[in-house]
Amino acid sequence: MSNSADRWTGAFFLLFGLAMFFLVIPVYVEDAQGGNLSPRTMPNVIAWVIAVCGGFLVIKPTTHQAPDGRFFAQVAAYVAVLGAAIYAMSLVGFIYVAPVLALVIMLMIGERRPLWLGIGVVLMPAAIWFLVTQLLERGLPG
Amino acid sequence: MVDFSIILAGFGDVFTPINLLFVVFGVMLGQFVGAVPGIGPVMAMAIAIPFTFGLDPLPAIAFLVGVNKGGLVGGAVPAILMNTPGTPDAAATALDGYPLAQQGKPLKATKMALFSSITGDTFSDIVLITVSAPLAILALRMGPVEIVALMIFAFSIISGLMGESLIKGVIAAALGLMFAFVGTDPEHFTPRLIFGYWDLFDGLALPSVAIGMLAISEILRRMSASFGTSGQGLLAPDSGNPDDRRVSWAEYWSCRYTLLRGATIGTILGALPGIGSTAAAFMSYAMTKAGSKDPDSFGKGNLHGIAATESANSAVVGSNLIPLLTLGIPGSVTAALIISAFMIHGMQPGPLLFQTQGRLVYGLFGAMIMANFVNLWVGQAGLRLWVKVVSAPESVIFSSALLLCFVGVSMATNGLFGVTIMLIFAVFGVLMHSFGYSMVIFIIAFFLGPQFEKSLAQAIALLNGNILHIYTSPVAVALLVLSVASVFWFLSRRTNTVADQTNLGVPDGETLDQKDP
Repeated sequence: MSNSADRWTGAFFLLFGLAMFFLVIPVYVEDAQGGNLSPRTMPNVIAWVIAVCGGFLVIKPTTHQAPDGRFFAQVAAYVAVLGAAIYAMSLVGFIYVAPVLALVIMLMIGERRPLWLGIGVVLMPAAIWFLVTQLLERGLPG
Repeated sequence: MVDFSIILAGFGDVFTPINLLFVVFGVMLGQFVGAVPGIGPVMAMAIAIPFTFGLDPLPAIAFLVGVNKGGLVGGAVPAILMNTPGTPDAAATALDGYPLAQQGKPLKATKMALFSSITGDTFSDIVLITVSAPLAILALRMGPVEIVALMIFAFSIISGLMGESLIKGVIAAALGLMFAFVGTDPEHFTPRLIFGYWDLFDGLALPSVAIGMLAISEILRRMSASFGTSGQGLLAPDSGNPDDRRVSWAEYWSCRYTLLRGATIGTILGALPGIGSTAAAFMSYAMTKAGSKDPDSFGKGNLHGIAATESANSAVVGSNLIPLLTLGIPGSVTAALIISAFMIHGMQPGPLLFQTQGRLVYGLFGAMIMANFVNLWVGQAGLRLWVKVVSAPESVIFSSALLLCFVGVSMATNGLFGVTIMLIFAVFGVLMHSFGYSMVIFIIAFFLGPQFEKSLAQAIALLNGNILHIYTSPVAVALLVLSVASVFWFLSRRTNTVADQTNLGVPDGETLDQKDP
C-alpha cells in the first residue's frame, strides 16, 4: 500500500519546523529582555517538535492514503468561489453577494430544481437579512 | 452560610411566569442556534447579552443560561444528522451519532444525545448547588504550577485520541499551539507572527478558526463529494422500525455507568478553568472506549459513544459556574460571557456573592434546573423538527450554512477579516483531514495554548526560574506521573490495526471516509 502521502507531509513539516526556527521566528517574533519566559521560547520549542515529528513521519509513515487530485481540484473551485465572494462582499456588501453566492454554490452542487433554487437563493438570504438586521439589529458583512 | 429561607425564596423566584418564559425562550433559541452549524450558543449569547440590559437580573441570567444549555443540546443535532458539529463540543458526538443516523436511526441517535445531555447537565447542576463552595476552595489552591501540570495531563489524555498515528497527533497539537502563539505575547505584550497584519494583534479569533476547520472544511469536503450531482437529502432514510425511532428504558439504563462517568468527567473538568467541554467530551469518549468490552463497535454507531460525549460536554455547563460564582474566574468563553452579563446587572461574582446576592444565586440555580426540564420538553419536539429540516437537499443546506457561517463569523469578529481567516482555516482543515491529521486535537491545543504559556511563565517565576523545582508541588508531581502513566497506558493499548479501524479522535467524517475519501 502506498505511504507516499505521509512521507510528503512529513518532509513538509520537517522543512516547516526548521524554517520556522531558523527563518520566521527570528524575524517575526520580537525578543524581549527580562521576564520569565521569552516570547520566542515556546514557538521555538514547538517548531522543533514539528520538525522532529515530521522527520519521524518520513522514516516511519502510516498507510494513510490521500484523496486524488480531482478532489483537491473541486475543493479549490469552491474555495475560489468563496474567496471571490468575500472580496465582492468587501466591495458591494453581503446583501447583493449572498444570493449570487448561493446560486453559484447550488448550481455547482448540481441543484437544478427551481423550487429549491428559489428557497436557497431568495428565501434563505432574505431570512438571514431579516434575522440579523431587523431582529438582532446588527450589521451584515461588508 | 446562606439562610435556608433565602435558598427557598431564590428557588421560588424561578416560578414566576416571566422568569419561566425567559427560560423557555432561552432554551428554544439555544437549541435553534446550536443546531445551525456556524452560529452556536457562544455567539448567540454574545448577541443576546445587549438585549438583556432592560431585564431584571434573574430573567436575564436565566435566559442566557437557557441559551447555553439549549445550545449544547442543539449542537448535537447537525453533528449526528449532517456530521457537521454545530458546536466544537459536539464533534465527539458525531463519531458514533452520524454512523447511527446513516443506519436509518437518526431519531434514536438524537434522542440518546438529548437524554444523555440532560442527565449530565442535571448531575452537574446538583453538584454545583450542593458542593460548589468546597470545590471552589480546592480549585483556589491550584496555582500556576499545578495548572501547567494539569494541562500536560490533559494533553496526555488527548494523546489517547490520536487516531492512526501518535506522531500525527503530536504534529496536530503542535500546530494548534503554534497558531495559538500568533498575536500578543502574554508576558511581554510584544507582537508575534502577525506578519504586519495588525488585525492579528489580539491573536486568531477562536470562532474563525473553529468554524473554519470544523464546519466550513466539512462543508467543502461534502460539496466536493457531491460536485455536479443532483441535490439530494443528507440523511439516510429512516428504517421504518419504531424501535429505531426511540431510546428504550433498557437502552438508557444500560448506559448508566457511561453516563455517570461522562457526567463526573464533565463536572470535574468544568470546575477547573481552561479545560472546556470539548476536552471533556473527548476524554469521556476515550475512557469509555478504553473500558468497553467491545471497543471495535465505537465509531460505528454505539449508543455508549453518544452517551459518553453528550453527558460529559453538558456536565461542563453547570460546574463551569463553580469558579465563576465563588472565585469570579470564568472557566470558559461561555462563563466569560455570563460574567460580563453579571457585571452589567451590578453583580460582582466572587466569594461574597453567596452572602450579598444569595437569593439571586439560588434563583439562578433554580433556573438551571428548570432549564433542564425545558430542554427535555423542547428537545422532544425540536429534534423531530430538525430531522425533517435537515432532510432538505444538501444544496440548500450547504449554501445556507455557508451564508450563516459568513454572517456569524463576521459578527463575532467584527468584519470580513475574520471571515477570510475562517476560509483559510477551512482549507487548512481540508488538508489536515485529507492527510490524516486530527482537527479536533488542533483546536483543543489552539484553545489551551495561551493559558498554557501564561501559566508556564507564572510557574517558572514561582519556581525561581527553574521548572525542575516542580517537585516542590505534590499535586503537580502527581499529575505529571499520571500524565506519563496515561501515555504509556494508551500506547500499550494501541495497535495499528485497532487504530486504523476506529480512527478515534478523528472526527466529523474522518471516521467514515478517511480510507476512501
